[in-house]
Amino acid sequence: MSNTLADDELSVANKELVFQNEEKEKRAAELSIANKELIFQNEEKEKRAAELIIANTELIFQNKEKEKRAAELIIANRELAFQNKEKEKRAAELIIANRELAFQNEEKEKRAAELIIANKELAFQNEEKEKRAAELIIANKELAFQNEEKEKRAAELIIANKELLAFTYISSHDLQEPLRKIQTFVTIILENENANLSDKGKYNFHRMQLAAQRMQQLIDDLLAFSRINTTDHQFEKTELSIVIEEVKNELRDTIREKKATIEATEVCPVNIIPFQFRQLMYNLISNALKFSDPGSPSHIIIQSVVVKGSELASQYFSPEKNYCHISVKDNGIGFEPHFNERIFGVFQKLHSKEVYAGTGIGLAIVKKIVENHKGRIVATGELNKGARFDIYIPANLG
Amino acid sequence: MNEKQLTILLADDDTDDCLFFKDALEGMAISTEFTTVHNGEQLMELLNYETNKLPHVLFLDLNMPRKNGFECLAEIKQNKKLKGIPVVIFSTSYEQEVVNLLYRNGAQYFIRKPSEFGQFKKIILYVLTIVAQQNMLRTTKSDFVLTAESNLVM
Repeated sequence: MSNTLADDELSVANKELVFQNEEKEKRAAELSIANKELIFQNEEKEKRAAELIIANTELIFQNKEKEKRAAELIIANRELAFQNKEKEKRAAELIIANRELAFQNEEKEKRAAELIIANKELAFQNEEKEKRAAELIIANKELAFQNEEKEKRAAELIIANKELLAFTYISSHDLQEPLRKIQTFVTIILENENANLSDKGKYNFHRMQLAAQRMQQLIDDLLAFSRINTTDHQFEKTELSIVIEEVKNELRDTIREKKATIEATEVCPVNIIPFQFRQLMYNLISNALKFSDPGSPSHIIIQSVVVKGSELASQYFSPEKNYCHISVKDNGIGFEPHFNERIFGVFQKLHSKEVYAGTGIGLAIVKKIVENHKGRIVATGELNKGARFDIYIPANLG
Repeated sequence: MNEKQLTILLADDDTDDCLFFKDALEGMAISTEFTTVHNGEQLMELLNYETNKLPHVLFLDLNMPRKNGFECLAEIKQNKKLKGIPVVIFSTSYEQEVVNLLYRNGAQYFIRKPSEFGQFKKIILYVLTIVAQQNMLRTTKSDFVLTAESNLVM
């Protein structure tokens, strides 16, 4: 019995154990599930922790930014406070200014009233002026017409002048040929027919030769005169002393013959057309030699100096420009003062050709050359007391 | 003086000038054969057809009808057969620019016809003497122009 009892007890115990065992397995299964849940929750927490780190960093950054802005706001605040004060000052000033304006406004209204009256007067005057303007327009049209006519005539004159120059040039050129032949025939006759000619005949042929030579001189001078207008006008900075030296060299025989001294000490460089100026100096110096006093040696003084236009005190010179003043002075026979303009004319002579040879073109050429240099020449003389030529040309051209 | 006969060709439309030239040659102790033509076309025809008998020297006037002296000089100096002929310009007038142009174009001398016959002969004789000596080197610019005033040393 006891055995059975014991067996029963054991069986109960066993069942109990089985039951307990099952319970434990259930719990183990539950624990396993719970465990997985915890692992999952753990992972989630780690993710959030990482997110929080990132969020934290962001917050730190935003914090710093806000601090910066706060600092900026403080500065801005101060600035605003300052501006505020300034505005208040200005407002005070504006109040004062406003009062002033109000006063001025009143004044202006008064003046406006005065101006309305003045305006009416002006309107009246305006009408008068319009009438006159209409009259002036008509007068103006008339002047414009006259001006056009004058321009046409000026253009015609330029053409006529050119034609005249061309005519002078071509005619002098072509006249040379028959003249040369007359001279050649005369020399052939005098050479070959000498024995057949009477003394009177020979004399007449010599006179013929002299007349032909004179005509040749005239043609040569006329050609030189017209050439001054046709050759090109190239200005160059030139030493006047060199030009004078060249001319002296060309005239050395005459200088020796006249026992002349030529002084050219104070000379400056000049802006000139060299070829033309050489001709000018040649004509002036050879004139001085030709018209020297037979009783005493010829003495010619050439000087040049730069002067301001204002010092010359003449309407022909601009006061602000510089001029080169060149003077050629001699101690020759001179001329009567009233001839001081006439001597520059073409073919103008003060002496007969038997006394002083020449065609009367030399000084006309000189004047033309001075004009080509946009300058002026003045002659001064007194009979038997020498002549003086003063040339003024712009010191700087172009 | 060379024994050989000197052949001279003158191109000038002016009868008087041709006569002066002929008279001048007759009074000289040089044996010459003198031919004249009266315009540029005649001159160029003669030179182009008788290339085997070219003149020793050509005296050339500038103002001639039909073809002037400038054109003739240019044609002669551009022609291989003719460019060796010494060309002496023979003119009444004297223009510096014209003289410069002729010198550049290869003329040998520029003679300004003198009005005195004696000087006329003297200048012709001077040029012919140089031609006869066959001493036709290129003249320098300063010796290029011969006028009555030239100092001619022979």
